[in-house]
Amino acid sequence: MAVTAEQVADAMYDLVKEYQGKKKLKAMDLTHMMVERYGAEGCDKKMCKAAIRSLIDSDRCVYTYFGGSYIELPHAEGAAGGG
Amino acid sequence: MSETNGKGSATPMLDELEKGEWPSFVTQIKEMAAEKEQCQQLLELLERSYREKIGHWKHGGIVGVHGYGGGVIGRYNDLPEEFPAIAHFHTLRVNMPSGWFYTSDVLRKICDIWDEHGSGLTNMHGSTGDIILLGTTTDELEPTFKALTENDFDLGGSGSDVRTPSACVGPARCEWACYDTLDLCNDLTQTFQDELHRPAFPYKFKFKCSGCPNDCVASIARSDMSIIGTWRDDIRIDQDAVREYAENGVNIERDICGNCPTKCMEWDGHDLEIDNGNCVKCMHCINAMPKALRPGVDTGATILLGAKAPIVQGAQLSSVIVPFMKLEPPYDEIKDLAERIWDFWSENGKNRERVGEIMQRVGMGNFLEAIGVDPIPEMIAYPRENPYVFYEEYYEEEDEEAEQEEEEGAAVP
Amino acid sequence: MDTQRRTDIGPPDFRRFLPPIIKENYGKWKYHEILKPGVMVHVAESGDKLFTVRAGSPRLLGTKRIRKYAELADKYCGGHLRFTSRHNVEFLLTDEKNIDPIIADLAELGHPVGGIGPAISSIVHTQGWVHCHSAATDASGVVKAVMDDLHEYFDGTTKIPGKLRIALACCLNMCGAVHCSDISILGVHRRPPRVQQGLAKVCEIPNVIAACPTAAIRPASVEGTPSVEIDESLCMFCANCFSVCPALPMADALNDGVSLWVGGKVSNARHEPMFSKLAVPFIENDPPRWTEVVQNVRKIVEVWVDGARPHERMGEFIERIGWPKFFKLTGIEFQKEHIDDYRYAGLTFHRSAWVRH
Repeated sequence: MAVTAEQVADAMYDLVKEYQGKKKLKAMDLTHMMVERYGAEGCDKKMCKAAIRSLIDSDRCVYTYFGGSYIELPHAEGAAGGG
Repeated sequence: MSETNGKGSATPMLDELEKGEWPSFVTQIKEMAAEKEQCQQLLELLERSYREKIGHWKHGGIVGVHGYGGGVIGRYNDLPEEFPAIAHFHTLRVNMPSGWFYTSDVLRKICDIWDEHGSGLTNMHGSTGDIILLGTTTDELEPTFKALTENDFDLGGSGSDVRTPSACVGPARCEWACYDTLDLCNDLTQTFQDELHRPAFPYKFKFKCSGCPNDCVASIARSDMSIIGTWRDDIRIDQDAVREYAENGVNIERDICGNCPTKCMEWDGHDLEIDNGNCVKCMHCINAMPKALRPGVDTGATILLGAKAPIVQGAQLSSVIVPFMKLEPPYDEIKDLAERIWDFWSENGKNRERVGEIMQRVGMGNFLEAIGVDPIPEMIAYPRENPYVFYEEYYEEEDEEAEQEEEEGAAVP
Repeated sequence: MDTQRRTDIGPPDFRRFLPPIIKENYGKWKYHEILKPGVMVHVAESGDKLFTVRAGSPRLLGTKRIRKYAELADKYCGGHLRFTSRHNVEFLLTDEKNIDPIIADLAELGHPVGGIGPAISSIVHTQGWVHCHSAATDASGVVKAVMDDLHEYFDGTTKIPGKLRIALACCLNMCGAVHCSDISILGVHRRPPRVQQGLAKVCEIPNVIAACPTAAIRPASVEGTPSVEIDESLCMFCANCFSVCPALPMADALNDGVSLWVGGKVSNARHEPMFSKLAVPFIENDPPRWTEVVQNVRKIVEVWVDGARPHERMGEFIERIGWPKFFKLTGIEFQKEHIDDYRYAGLTFHRSAWVRH
């Protein structure tokens, strides 16, 4: 199945949205899930990397850090207090 | 909040730390407090920590500059109403030039940027080696970043990414540098900018470049990939200079030969003889008599893997993966090795698992197979002592018969 | 958006900042000598000489002080300077006559010169209460108190047998390389994490459970909402759970403090690199001067200064005299906490009949 990086980014975004608040996903989790879905030939690591970059650069997702780095939907910082 | 009662100091405990011989960090904060309300409030918050014996900072996990997943450490205090000027007090990690060399002009430029956009407080440098710009608000992060990049500086790593690589002073000012630590450090940093700014690993990955086995950047204790300079040929000796050390009171027999870990040297009162085939390149004799002894000329590095502090599964020192590697631009061999390791680790690592930990979890033998490196005795202190071996295959009786037939068949063509 | 935005440029090339004498002799240094405490000369194959003056610093520096360093570099070094991996600042001189004047100027600024060769160098350390969310003790304050006491070994007033490297980390995360130092000062927690209300809103429970190396965290329901409970008997206070979940705070004024570790090294000289080993399990936080920490560090340093052979590092010295004698000489009480009880603890037991009487 041939997919484009933008399609992968959209699929990743849906996953992040689905898991938000339930499980924090790492870049490598998203990559594994995409390779599983589309097969390693249709969607390699390079494409996943491009997709993640597009998600972040377009502000659809942000990197977060809590003892490890994750990719999440943008949200208010808990520690900031009062949001 | 402060206990000044109109007179006296608001920070009596910290004032105590302005006394004494060693330069005081309190004096540094006070110097800046004259102009920066942030620094005054930091002093008072710190005084409160000293009184209460507890910290008042909270971790922020979201703030950063656009597009990057590292380089900014979010900090908020837990008493924002009392200390509003430092309610947000984030840190920027700025990637230092290799070897921490500066000109006065570039230092002043960094100071200008930080006076304009932040607290004016820094660490020169943080533990990993970055220039640490200590304390600013969320709104100032992008403007600081813009000013830094306009002056050719960029952020360093944080989070699950390649951390800012660091190097000892190397060939810039050390006769023992067995490869160009500064150039390699700079090259790795530039090559892996994406891996440094966009966290994609299970956890952090550190490179540290030491030019010789003295390991001045503590790479063997602190880096996932420790690159320690060494040589394969003979130690260079100037026998006249050895005799000069002896004449000047160095006890060569006791303090040089006696400290050699492999006892590979002998001193007959006139010449120092070294059995180079048995020298492990520990550096002791060279350190002790730098005018007389020097590393050889066939130089490169030993590559070791896996050092880390205790979190999560316990502290480790790096262990040998490549006993000797030539290190010359474009450094393809070491970059290729790093990328093979990252591939396996990213595929199989657990969240917060360092390379040193996955090596232990899957077994060093399996790890070597996965990254395509052959096992060699230089990798171990000694072979296993326990007989619980995980063999992966065994034969059934039919296999043996088939094999026998094959052998018999082979015997009678 | 902003078309001018530059990213992924990396640090400026270090070659831009090297002084001419280094550019000319790059990779062609022949030998060096320590001329006096904190001052060394590197001699190149060409005969060129580069003098280095190393000064201690508090690591936490305001821009005003950095500008002073820049002024000194302009005055004496053609505008060049560098920092070391242990937070020292180094001025690079080509004219030997400038050594004493720059030392005098540094003294006026309050910066001692030293830390080269057989000496105590600056203490590598972390942020502590100044800026860290997980600190079990302060960092800069303890370092200041210890160095005020030990400066005689930094500036060469008192000669010592070899190098002595001290490091401080304000918790087990160890942002400083304390686990392989001659003496390490390590902040420790001693109270299990408190489970805060509404934990599940901030943290993912499976992630929290997986974070614990001893499986002390279990899922639990608190007042009908999902949360976790801690088996306190299994907690060894690593704070890994707090790193992944801020709703499990560990810091506690009554129970946090400092431990001291000895005998680690990273250099390969003579002896292979070694981990530091536990010397003093716990000392209460005692700001502003942490008197008991300072006293214990001094005692350990003095025992080593008196007993070590030339070049011998702390770990080599203790290995030679044996741990029982180390505890006897330092007067540190040996307790059950000194005996490892984590993984492979048995490897640290004394497995021979070699005993000194």
